[in-house]
Amino acid sequence: MKLFYLVKKEFIEITRQKELLFLMFVGPVIQIIILGYVISTDIRHVPVGIVNMAQGQAAGQMIQRIRQTPLFNVRYESEQSVDNLDLLKKGEVKAMLIFRDALDQKRHILKYPEVQILMDGMDSNTSMIAAGYFNGVIKNYILHDMEKLGQGLPFSSRAVFRFNPQLRSINYMGPGIVGFLLTIITMFLTSASLVREKEQQTLDTLLISPLNTLEIYIGKALPAALIGLLDMVIGLLVVVLWFGIPFRGSMFYLFLASLVYLAAILSYALLISVLSATTQQAMFFSWFSLMIFLLMSGFFTPVDNIPPLLRILADINPLRYLLKIIREIFLKGNGIAYFWKDLLALGGIALTLMAVSLLNFKRFLSK
Amino acid sequence: MSTPVPAIAVSDLHKSFGHFQAVKGISFDVLPGEIVGFLGPNGAGKTTTIKMITGLLKITSGTIRIGGLDNRKHLAAIKKKLGYMSQKFSLYALLTAMENIEFFGGISGLAPHELRARMHVMAEQVAPDVLRQKIQDVPPGIRQKVALFVCLLPEPEIILLDEPTSGVDPEARRNFWNEIYGLKKRGKTLLVSTHNLDEAEYCDRIIIIHNGDIVASGAPDELLRRHQQVNIEALFENAIKNHGQN
Repeated sequence: MKLFYLVKKEFIEITRQKELLFLMFVGPVIQIIILGYVISTDIRHVPVGIVNMAQGQAAGQMIQRIRQTPLFNVRYESEQSVDNLDLLKKGEVKAMLIFRDALDQKRHILKYPEVQILMDGMDSNTSMIAAGYFNGVIKNYILHDMEKLGQGLPFSSRAVFRFNPQLRSINYMGPGIVGFLLTIITMFLTSASLVREKEQQTLDTLLISPLNTLEIYIGKALPAALIGLLDMVIGLLVVVLWFGIPFRGSMFYLFLASLVYLAAILSYALLISVLSATTQQAMFFSWFSLMIFLLMSGFFTPVDNIPPLLRILADINPLRYLLKIIREIFLKGNGIAYFWKDLLALGGIALTLMAVSLLNFKRFLSK
Repeated sequence: MSTPVPAIAVSDLHKSFGHFQAVKGISFDVLPGEIVGFLGPNGAGKTTTIKMITGLLKITSGTIRIGGLDNRKHLAAIKKKLGYMSQKFSLYALLTAMENIEFFGGISGLAPHELRARMHVMAEQVAPDVLRQKIQDVPPGIRQKVALFVCLLPEPEIILLDEPTSGVDPEARRNFWNEIYGLKKRGKTLLVSTHNLDEAEYCDRIIIIHNGDIVASGAPDELLRRHQQVNIEALFENAIKNHGQN
């Protein structure tokens, strides 16, 4: 019953701050919609320059295909040699395609032209993907031509994309954003809670009350957990209804994983609250931690890309496991049989963080 | 007749923060039903001592007994006997007076019907529209009244008031001391810290503390006689001067 009054007080304090309410419940919707459109690994309308010095039809047909795809936006065309490097330096184009007639040793023009692809490698990801598309267009053209001529192909290959057939990056990012949102809301809300008590000098009254350490600990964590879960539901509705991302798995497992994750992240946030002397310190500490969690979670790039030494940080990062589980549930419709190891790791991290946080919380309260 | 067990018994109490000695081996008793004034300038060690009595600060050395119980060994039992009102009233700024009372009563373990009855008592003393305002928006006098009411919710035997009258107008101070007398009549023991020397006249006994040391203690009249002074201000200055020379 005592806990009820503490939780009620926390909710009253939160709901009395209109700006905070807006940030907690409207902010996430805006955030998901903006992030959903902005954070994308798809490439679209990449500015391209084309220099066609080939005489045959093949080059023209290939250029036509490039013009038709929405991936590229042909900004510059010429039939004469130009200063390619200058165009790339100015940033007018990200790629230059130069078509020349391929000559054999006897100076005869061969059937297919030579194609030189010059890429602006500054954004390595976009460059790699775009170069892959160009090569694909060229290869497909040649294979199509060979088939038309009735020449048998030495082999054939066809890629089938399961779980996300249209290869929409939002399908991968959307569920991740929901997990990220759960982290932001709960971490910022909780990491400041105990510091606020210190700053408004109400902590002493709380400590002299019959509330014990565990009750204060739970009373501080529970409101943030409930608000976090509510925000997660809002986030899920936005990604499913606004972005049309299919939800194929079990809602039960999603909430189970989220609860285990909340135990971990709230323990961490309470640890921050205990270690910080001011709200400013708590906010800075939270922001710093959030960036590390995010970069080490596989949100943007696969965890496998992280160098082995730093991988340890990724291995103890609870967000990493939550994102993996959320994405598996969302896109693959996987059940616990597929992610029990991740859930177990998440549970282990949660238990460790809870123990460390509770120990520090106890030490802090008995100072 | 046997001497009663002191409500508060402080013996050779020390508190250090690093190299700084905030409290330097003080000893005093507060008997049941007494109002004892803890007088001293800012930084004298009043709040530090009170916080050690409540268990909020760890003792460096010495002992504190509350109703005969050592506060390092029986803190949970002692918490039930103590009521504490801190310097800044320690109320939640965004909650109304009634919500503050409900919260503190609730965490003190009051039953809902008991809590409602207490809230009714407060509603009879303060205008309803004031009680509905956030506590940060009500006058300091009302805040002080609510803070004392909150401190008394668990019906503590011993009440520690840390500078309860700082920042309130003279009328609110007078009313506050009337309430303190009311508490004494109900058999409560009170230790009240203040730097307002004129408040000494309200106390059964006073303890003057300076730089972490007790420089004088006793009933106000007796102290004036003993130190041959005409008022508490003169007594206070004299005691501090003598202490400095020693």
